[in-house]
Amino acid sequence: MSVIKKKKHVSKKNKKAWRKYCDIKDVEEFLEDQRLEERIGKFETKPDSELFVVDTAGDEKPEVTDVKPLSLKQKKRALLNQTPKCFEVLLPTSKVQDPNAKRNHVNPVGAKPTALSKLTQKRRFEKGAYVKKVELVRKNKKIALAKKRKAKEIENTFIKNLWGDELPEVKGIPSTLCDDFVSEEAQLHNVLPEKRLRPKPPPPKTVATRAAIETPHPGVSYNPSYQEHQDLLQEVVQHEEKMMKKEAHLHRVTTKMFSKVTAHDKENQWREEMSAGLPQPHNPATAPSDEETDNEYKAINPPVKNKKKDHKARRKQRERIEERERLKREKIEKKKITDIYKLRKLQSSISAKEKRQAELQAKRTAKREFISATAVPALNAHKPPVREPDLVDPKQLTGDLRNITTNTNLLRDRFESLQRRGALAASKLMMKKKKRVKSYFKPGHKVTEQDIEKYVQKMKGKKDPKKIVIKK
Amino acid sequence: MVSKKKKKYSSGEGAQFMTRKAALKKLQLSLKDFRRICILKGIYPREPRNRKRAQKGAGGIKTLYHTKDIKFLLHEPIIWKLRDLKVYQQKIRRARATREFGRMRKYLRDYPSINIDHIVKERYPTFVDALRDLDDCLTLCFLFSTFPSLKKVPRNQSMLCRRLTVEFMHAVIAAKALRKVFVSIKGYYYQAEFEGQTITWIVPHHFSFQPQNKDEVDFKIMSTFVEFYTMMLGFVNYKLFHSMNLVYPPQLTAGFSPDSEKDLIDEHAYVAERIAALNISLAKVAGANEVEELPEIDIFQSEDGDPQKLEEAKQEAEKVKKLKTMFKGLKFFINREVPREPLVFIIRCFGGEVSWDRDHFVGATFDESDESIAYQIVDRPSMDKQYLSRYYVQPQWVFDSINARTLLPINKYLMGAVLPPHLSPFVDKIKDQVYIPPEERALKDPDFKPLDDEPSGSDIEEASDEDADEKNEQESEEDGDTALARQYQQEIAEDSPSDDEDGEDNLDPEKKKLAKEKKKSMAVVSGVPYKENPYQKQIEDKQAFRLREKLVRKKHRNLYKSMKAGQEKRKKEIWLLRKKRRLHDEKVKEEKKAEKRKQKMQAFEAATA
Repeated sequence: MSVIKKKKHVSKKNKKAWRKYCDIKDVEEFLEDQRLEERIGKFETKPDSELFVVDTAGDEKPEVTDVKPLSLKQKKRALLNQTPKCFEVLLPTSKVQDPNAKRNHVNPVGAKPTALSKLTQKRRFEKGAYVKKVELVRKNKKIALAKKRKAKEIENTFIKNLWGDELPEVKGIPSTLCDDFVSEEAQLHNVLPEKRLRPKPPPPKTVATRAAIETPHPGVSYNPSYQEHQDLLQEVVQHEEKMMKKEAHLHRVTTKMFSKVTAHDKENQWREEMSAGLPQPHNPATAPSDEETDNEYKAINPPVKNKKKDHKARRKQRERIEERERLKREKIEKKKITDIYKLRKLQSSISAKEKRQAELQAKRTAKREFISATAVPALNAHKPPVREPDLVDPKQLTGDLRNITTNTNLLRDRFESLQRRGALAASKLMMKKKKRVKSYFKPGHKVTEQDIEKYVQKMKGKKDPKKIVIKK
Repeated sequence: MVSKKKKKYSSGEGAQFMTRKAALKKLQLSLKDFRRICILKGIYPREPRNRKRAQKGAGGIKTLYHTKDIKFLLHEPIIWKLRDLKVYQQKIRRARATREFGRMRKYLRDYPSINIDHIVKERYPTFVDALRDLDDCLTLCFLFSTFPSLKKVPRNQSMLCRRLTVEFMHAVIAAKALRKVFVSIKGYYYQAEFEGQTITWIVPHHFSFQPQNKDEVDFKIMSTFVEFYTMMLGFVNYKLFHSMNLVYPPQLTAGFSPDSEKDLIDEHAYVAERIAALNISLAKVAGANEVEELPEIDIFQSEDGDPQKLEEAKQEAEKVKKLKTMFKGLKFFINREVPREPLVFIIRCFGGEVSWDRDHFVGATFDESDESIAYQIVDRPSMDKQYLSRYYVQPQWVFDSINARTLLPINKYLMGAVLPPHLSPFVDKIKDQVYIPPEERALKDPDFKPLDDEPSGSDIEEASDEDADEKNEQESEEDGDTALARQYQQEIAEDSPSDDEDGEDNLDPEKKKLAKEKKKSMAVVSGVPYKENPYQKQIEDKQAFRLREKLVRKKHRNLYKSMKAGQEKRKKEIWLLRKKRRLHDEKVKEEKKAEKRKQKMQAFEAATA
């Protein structure tokens, strides 16, 4: 305070500065009091009974009266009048009056209309209070129906120039954005992700490059020329031979690898194995002749003796090795000289080898490319079937259109073509297994005549299913 | 501080791919729905370069998809529709189980339908893209149009296929777009051309429906494919009709209107109805002009302007133009034993008019007794009642004529004749250096004349030729006689031995000599003009060619050499085979002559004795 007095002129330019040099404590205290009063009620307005208690008991201890304790039921009943504890939170703590004197009652969601509310609603409906709402509902219904009908219509009529200006309904700028005041950029910017026409990711190479319909072999004509038909047959034969070779190989590598044993042999083998170690009946033919042996132990492989080489032998060996080395070196030296005269031959041999290798490499790359161009894509654990050349049986060729017969299934052809192009993963079709339901009578269940008849009928049907097929 | 360790497979091939199971989880779809949406959207499984890495180290072979593809699927509004459908299916199932059939019927009535037009647009941004991918679509639609209602195929699908295929055929007829036909054991191969795109499709022979093996083909999948393809074909049809100023949908016979509930129970009746629908001409948009003819090809001087190629292209265009109006103004009558559908389609494609027996099938336009009929197509050895005013030909004549792009001489295709082979038009033209026997060559280009073509001598043909002559005299005023006359001339040219020409040749030198002498007497002696020595020129050309050959770069020299060697080899082979053939033919001729002489001698002896 003393600081303030020292300064004559204090800046009270800002709110902050004003607050710094003004004492508003008393005002705040007064307001605080007022708010408190508002919350808990005015001190003066309260009756004395609320404020004061007449002390009648004095210092005496209250007498312990023999009052019968309340039963549980009574306690509960007593509690009924009170506000439940859980709802106390919802009650206002402040005594401030509700500014909105009359609040509307809102029915909770899902509440059933009462008889009274129904009546009022009816009255209001007749009065015309809901006209707008009803109209709206009718309109919405109409729009939904039209939309549905339009979708169905397009499915049947296709009247839409898809590659013209018309965009499909699902895609494109929503109608809410189509306004004169919304710029085109903004419209495009605000289109939802699923409303955009987005470029399709490129299909796999096999799908894009392989022809959907392969050009037919000229031999499959209904009236082929002799040469072309023969070519076709040759193709079929080659394919068949390849398959047979493959099969033979598989047979050789698997089944044929194991030698077969006849039942008789097997029996003998078993007998032999089982009787190993057992005392054999005396057989003079097989019994060892003990005339030659003189009870002395003789190993089959006699022990090796470590016989040392003497100096001479060592020298001889060393000399031999040295001589061999010398000869080898001499030969190399000689070869060096002769190679100079052989240069041209070497050159030609090297070039020939390189040429051969280049050819082989070209062949290999060509083969690899061919395989990669024709191989079926492995998309699944199952492999699509290999394409087989169409076989036209010479007997089939009648030469006129009247008696044409076919042995190909075009649908299967298409299906396999899709698989070979990689548009479908080859899969084995799993057939649904029919559950076998066993029927029986529950023990203790009352079995009527009808039940028995039904059962008998059922069993009859099961025994000869052919009969039923005929009946149908 | 050490940077955080990168997790394995979080980048590179491991992150690029996704197993099917992961995709299902990401999209929150069942396998059934996933399969369907993949087919509709054209998302295919992928084959990785390194499977181990792509499967994140897991073994075995799993079906993999690109993560990008799955993300693309994620933005598809149809996914929500599929989820809605699932709810509907559950409701229907529940209603059926609780036997509340009224409710079930209501659900079935209100079953939401999926509109997939935007997918067609998304997959084929331009019309040409759609045309390019039409092969599979057409083949499957034609196939499904022959199916009865099957268990796993929606009820209206085959009906829709029938309608759309007939509409497409009408578009081909109106545009005259058909180019090639090939009758194979499998079915009819057709090739059409729209906007420069060749479209090939197969139409199966008409047999009654053959029951399909259950474990061979997954009908559910194929039917999903067809679901998409019908949508695509519908829009393509609309666009085609629209571009040709035709009314879409065309008013066909009653069996094809989309809202008619009438089912044709009898299959034969249905087929007859379908063919009758093909024979109706379509309504044009009011006030629309004829579609103007395509202008002639403009010649642009391109950098590598190969005049030969340009010439070829021009010739091709000319041929196609001729082909389009090949049957114009000609009337065809189809006998009842002939498969009508392909023939009606083909003949109408090239401007012909077709009819058939009024008593047997619906939709006939004129009677058999009509005198203006030019050709009757028969597939039987003989007929009791024959009209003089028309040719009786076998159906193969029509197919072969189209592939040859002219009206072929009919003498080999007359009723009862043994037909020449039906050759495939789909053989590639790159293989030009092969030996073609003269018979085949004659089939391919009618201008080709074998060196010593005898009047190919079966009795039937000669007789019929005489008939033809008579007929031609009779019907000089009738419709389409120009084409017939042309053909007649061709036949005469073919049949007549080449004596006349020889005679002319014999005459010519004498005349020339006379003229020369006259000229000599009249001539004024003048200076020696520059005379070009053709032989000298040849030599110079050859030398220049050799020089150019030398200029081939070292890089390409070996290739060039091998190419040349191959050419020489093939030439030699052809020459050898031709020589063989010539020798053989001569031998046969000699033998024939000897035999004839022998016969003559015998006859003479018999006469004298």
